[in-house]
Amino acid sequence: MPLSPKEHSITPDPKTLLYVLIGVSILMVAFVVARPVITVTRGGKQLAFVVLFVLPVVVAFMGAAAQMRRTEQTEFCLSCHVMEPYGRSLRVDDPTYLPAGHFQNGRIPREQACYTCHTDYVLYGTALTKIRGLRHVYAQYVSGAQNPIRLYSPYNNRECLHCHAGARSFEEGAVHNADPSIMASIKSNELSCVSSGCHANVHDIAHLGELKLWEAPQ
Amino acid sequence: MNASEPHIHRRLRVSGVLIILGLSVELLSLIRTHPLAFLGFMFIGGGFLVTGVVLYLSSLVSVAHPPSSEDRI
Repeated sequence: MPLSPKEHSITPDPKTLLYVLIGVSILMVAFVVARPVITVTRGGKQLAFVVLFVLPVVVAFMGAAAQMRRTEQTEFCLSCHVMEPYGRSLRVDDPTYLPAGHFQNGRIPREQACYTCHTDYVLYGTALTKIRGLRHVYAQYVSGAQNPIRLYSPYNNRECLHCHAGARSFEEGAVHNADPSIMASIKSNELSCVSSGCHANVHDIAHLGELKLWEAPQ
Repeated sequence: MNASEPHIHRRLRVSGVLIILGLSVELLSLIRTHPLAFLGFMFIGGGFLVTGVVLYLSSLVSVAHPPSSEDRI
């Protein structure tokens, strides 16, 4: 049975739970700091162990998990100045622009638009992406980001095929099957989806000022 | 804090204060979605928290194994 709006509203979201847990932890630690004498009893020692070790470790892991999820958000990526035009390019009012078409038509989650296409879909890909993210932060605040920014390596078809492999429009597409060798070349990354001239309209920030932008309805 | 206060209590207070600082920084860093908030959480908040927890654990070990007279020489 679907939940009514009222039932939805009483379900606390994980972020609120985390805030509450951190607040309760601070109060409990403050209690031990104010009255360390409680630790002379067995119960007090156990309380101190929970408050000064178990709770901080649990909170740190929960907080780190929440922060990691945030680093995958479009808002997080676009908070760096150099990324601003790339964010605007998601709203180009032309479906032939690959990122714009994906973003505007919900082919990728809008709140994770950058991460969905620019993570590596391999073992430890998420960890590698996070390490690259630290390099981006270093470039943003210390060494200075190159402008325009460039990919570390040519875009790999593997990232496209993570979603498109098996999709009817891809597998049965006329151009993809025009020659028996094309599909094999695409799947082996010998023929790039984006730089072979087939889906070459990507972010194109150099001409962004000349393009009409789509305004998402509120 | 006074001179007659047991050593373990002083260390508990210090580790508790460090943990409170760490938790406060982590709470504040969760308010915004920004790379600096992420760094603050990981390195400043995490640093205070780890230091506080390690200090607390080391105080437990030092109470369980108080320094012998040979160690003091």
